[in-house]
Amino acid sequence: MTTAPTLAAVAREILVFEGARQIRDGDCVIVGTGLPLLAGLLAQRTHAPNARLIIESGVIFPQVIPTPMSVVDPRIMHNASRLGSLIEVLGGLVQRGMVDTGFIGGAQVDEFANINSTWVARDGGRVRLPGSGGANDIASHCRQLVVLTTHERRRFPARCDYVTSPGFVDGPGGRRRAGLPPVHIKIITELAVLEGDDESGRLALTALMPGATVDDVLANTGFEPFIADDPEVLEVPSGYELALLRNELDPDARYFPELRSSNE
Amino acid sequence: MTATDAVRHFVRSGSVVGIGGQNINRCPMALVHEVVRQAPSELSVVGCNLSLPLDLLVAAGLVVHTEQGSGNLERYGVLFSWRRALERSELTTTDHSHLAMASRFLAGALGVPFLPTRSLLGSTLLDELIAAGVARRGTDPFGGDPVVLLRALRPDVSLIHVSRADPDGNAVINGPTSHEVDMVRASDSVIVSAEQVVPPGTFDPAPEQVTISAAYVSAVVEQPYGAYPTSVYRAYDYSDDDVAEYQRLARAGRAADWLAQHVTGTADFDEFLRRRDPDGSVRAGLHEQMGRLI
Repeated sequence: MTTAPTLAAVAREILVFEGARQIRDGDCVIVGTGLPLLAGLLAQRTHAPNARLIIESGVIFPQVIPTPMSVVDPRIMHNASRLGSLIEVLGGLVQRGMVDTGFIGGAQVDEFANINSTWVARDGGRVRLPGSGGANDIASHCRQLVVLTTHERRRFPARCDYVTSPGFVDGPGGRRRAGLPPVHIKIITELAVLEGDDESGRLALTALMPGATVDDVLANTGFEPFIADDPEVLEVPSGYELALLRNELDPDARYFPELRSSNE
Repeated sequence: MTATDAVRHFVRSGSVVGIGGQNINRCPMALVHEVVRQAPSELSVVGCNLSLPLDLLVAAGLVVHTEQGSGNLERYGVLFSWRRALERSELTTTDHSHLAMASRFLAGALGVPFLPTRSLLGSTLLDELIAAGVARRGTDPFGGDPVVLLRALRPDVSLIHVSRADPDGNAVINGPTSHEVDMVRASDSVIVSAEQVVPPGTFDPAPEQVTISAAYVSAVVEQPYGAYPTSVYRAYDYSDDDVAEYQRLARAGRAADWLAQHVTGTADFDEFLRRRDPDGSVRAGLHEQMGRLI
């Protein structure tokens, strides 16, 4: 197998690198499969060797091997300290308030950072999605919530068609009024980082991916986010991180069909 | 007992059926195949993550209602037969979070009418659960904060597949137990299929290793590879090829063809396994693969 002399990360790989940077050393982190899992593993292999992963199916502190297709894949259970139950993880750790950072996915994120993974309107009908799983629980109780998603206008409406997982609910103070604990939310895309907290109550553009502009973000977002005065421009991932991701964390590119097709 | 007798006795038209397993792990496939063969109608299917078992039952036209935290096979995609039926309003559904479903089973298991949660607040999920009559907004009577009260859920019958069981129904599950222990305790009847039925007294030297007590179990069925093509931890891996093939067919609206060939076209699960894997090499490969992973 030949390797190109200069490796360039594809868009979804950049989400993994920036996702990993949200994890602090020692954090307890809940992830599923896919890009969030890779973010957790990359953090453990770089700046956060003491970050501990938990998986909603009941898997506690595993040492994951490539490449799990599910939260109950034996590859995600590898060398876990305990194999328990859903209620043990989502009730006893997440709702209990013991999880620092949670990663979830979703088909829509709105300006209040509410997230939809239940159904979306299309062509006068509804397209059914898998539903919450543990996402609502993770968004309700983790101190930091991270969403890794592609930046398309249809994924960023002003209001979600259905709120599966609460962000800031209806704006500043919305979580407190609903009875939810405070949270810091980061939405990471291949163009930018949008983030907010209970006080702001809505998403603001705080960082740009290398090469992206504020206009790119606005053109692909269905609402107008606050724009920080001087958005940080994020660093290009290092060759070391990219090699780690491609050679060790997901060597068969199970999560990156775009890489498989380009290699074939 | 045979799967045929157990399903005939405990799964009736109109039953609320709890399904064990999750995604690609330890789904009660042999028992679900038998339900499809006997075809009781108007089932309500409940669980946390509902996966292949639900999609087969929907494709067979046996389901009128589902209650779940999610309906998918994760990286293999959504449940296509279920999705199509929902989009055509051929069945109804009540969405939960996983913790909300698990809490409803726990309430049923404890014999209390409801349990509180602090999930669901501020979501459309909560609005719809209230409208469905299974959740209410409440207030913590001690601290005064908002909580959600979730109504107990007690399935008529639950179907689970386990690693080992004795003839009385004491069962050992290797690996994560998802929502199953509480669901089983909440259910009126429970059918357990097991990779291996062990002699009475086998668990006596270490009864603390029993995951589910015989107190809750109505019938025990021995069925090696009874979760295939999903996995059983420590016994065999899931079959990537089989799951992907089913999903391709289901996505194309052809799950019924799969059922006709593999389920209603066979007398029992052993015949299905023999036709699918005549020389046993697929099963042996999945067993060896699991051995390399743990």
